[in-house]
Amino acid sequence: MTQAIRINNLKYNYDDNDTVFDDFNLEIDAGQWLALVGHNGSGKSTLAKLILGLIEANNGTITVFGEQLRIDTVHHVREQIGMVFQNPDNQFVGATVADDVAFGLENKEMPSSDMPKVIDEALTIVGMQDFKYREPHMLSGGQKQRVALASVLALQPKIIILDEATAMLDPDGRATVMATLQNLKQRFGSELTLITITHDMNEAMLADRVVVINDGQLILDGSPSEVFSQCDVMHHNGLELPFVGELAVRLDPKPDGYLDERELIKWLSDLKK
Amino acid sequence: MAIRFEKVNFSYGAGTTLAQSILHDVTLEMPTGRVTAVVGQTGSGKSTLIQHINGLLKPTSGRVTVDNFELTSHTKEKELVKLRKSVGIAFQFPENQLFANTVLEDVMYAPVNFGATKSEAKLAAERALTRTGVMRGLWGKSPFELSGGQMRRVAMAGTLSSDPSVVVMDEPAAGLDPKGQGELLQLVLELKKLGKTIIIISHQMDHVVAVADHVIVMHEGRVVAQESPQILFNRDITWFKTMKLDLPKAGQLAEKLRDEGIILSKRPLTLNELADLINAEVSHE
Repeated sequence: MTQAIRINNLKYNYDDNDTVFDDFNLEIDAGQWLALVGHNGSGKSTLAKLILGLIEANNGTITVFGEQLRIDTVHHVREQIGMVFQNPDNQFVGATVADDVAFGLENKEMPSSDMPKVIDEALTIVGMQDFKYREPHMLSGGQKQRVALASVLALQPKIIILDEATAMLDPDGRATVMATLQNLKQRFGSELTLITITHDMNEAMLADRVVVINDGQLILDGSPSEVFSQCDVMHHNGLELPFVGELAVRLDPKPDGYLDERELIKWLSDLKK
Repeated sequence: MAIRFEKVNFSYGAGTTLAQSILHDVTLEMPTGRVTAVVGQTGSGKSTLIQHINGLLKPTSGRVTVDNFELTSHTKEKELVKLRKSVGIAFQFPENQLFANTVLEDVMYAPVNFGATKSEAKLAAERALTRTGVMRGLWGKSPFELSGGQMRRVAMAGTLSSDPSVVVMDEPAAGLDPKGQGELLQLVLELKKLGKTIIIISHQMDHVVAVADHVIVMHEGRVVAQESPQILFNRDITWFKTMKLDLPKAGQLAEKLRDEGIILSKRPLTLNELADLINAEVSHE
């Protein structure tokens, strides 16, 4: 299988010598949805910046679709990666939603006659086509994040990284962004690698694979149900299980391993029969 | 510091053809020395409501009283200094408003602004930083070098350093990890112990259950409920749907269990309550 990202022996220190990563390794297959989880300050956003070449590693290599990240390759590598940040208010430049999506295309020097179609497609994918002529600042947080996602999608990246993209949203906004991501995965399948950086386990639950990091170390790596079966390890690293996981460990009798909500409800109703 | 709203109406652009009415006939009370949570979906008027508590907005009609300060459409700007000194507001994502060169200077800003001497302000800032759990080693650093969770605590200290008797927080725990959220809720309870009157806006009903004594529910600019969380969260499920309000997670799961024929003896509000009720129900069989 093609690898989207390979990180080998990564070492990174802040200026004041606080080591963030020391000999960190991670491989992400193309088309995978990976949730990178850890508490605030665990190093997960730093990792995203390293992958984008926004900061430079002290040692080790980062390879994106076979191309090693270096000064002379950073622009080409970045073209394959789209990024959505936490604060929906910090990522708008256009006067209308459509202008905003156009901005990235202009940078890519796309002929303006091609743009309307690309913009419409991207906004349709995220369900924001009816808002094309609205001013971005009049949108709700969840709508803003979906427009940010459309701006990224219009550039047809192979990898999209969302860094705590739902953390500032209300529950409704969060649900719509998560539903949009599930849509994207269904639509693009193996053509799109998705990395969601989060400390919200209900969000991590939707991914194919969950990687827990703390102090720049890889703590757990597996499917959501494998990772959420490690209740003590999660707690020890300042994380919680999804709500139903926290419930299951308090039950008597308890189920073996992690069950999602539907499975837990079924397990309980079977128990009652 | 009793806070009372009497028939408060608020419109943006009042008196113009573009007038947009936000609050309708709001009458409510936020009890002294207690934690009041203001809840309701986005756009229900929560933020507009709390901006009346320190006079950032003035009612178009009606009256807000904070202790013996009375705020109406006629209140003069310079009279508001007294109100602002007793009411501290931490807006949503307050770390976006950090500005000074060092953490300590940032937190000293409010007391200096209200007339404290440099040394008094420094003492107040140190006390506030200690209270919000910002380690001494960080006080001389630039606020922008800190992690998200640390920045939030510095911003909270900035609200507390002028020792306001009313503390208003808009979504104080939003975006923090579970540990950070827990610490913030703990801070709310500590402030309550100090006798402060606390108002929090929250979308997380689990947080409301954890800290609030009193809940005000806003819907389309009106107050539709003001009561204890225990009474509120035992209302009929159809009411929550109409108001587009969530139950705490435990209550939500209990509703799903009910759909599958597992009926608990009462509606749980916390995780532990839910676990106990399920254990009782299942082991009875």
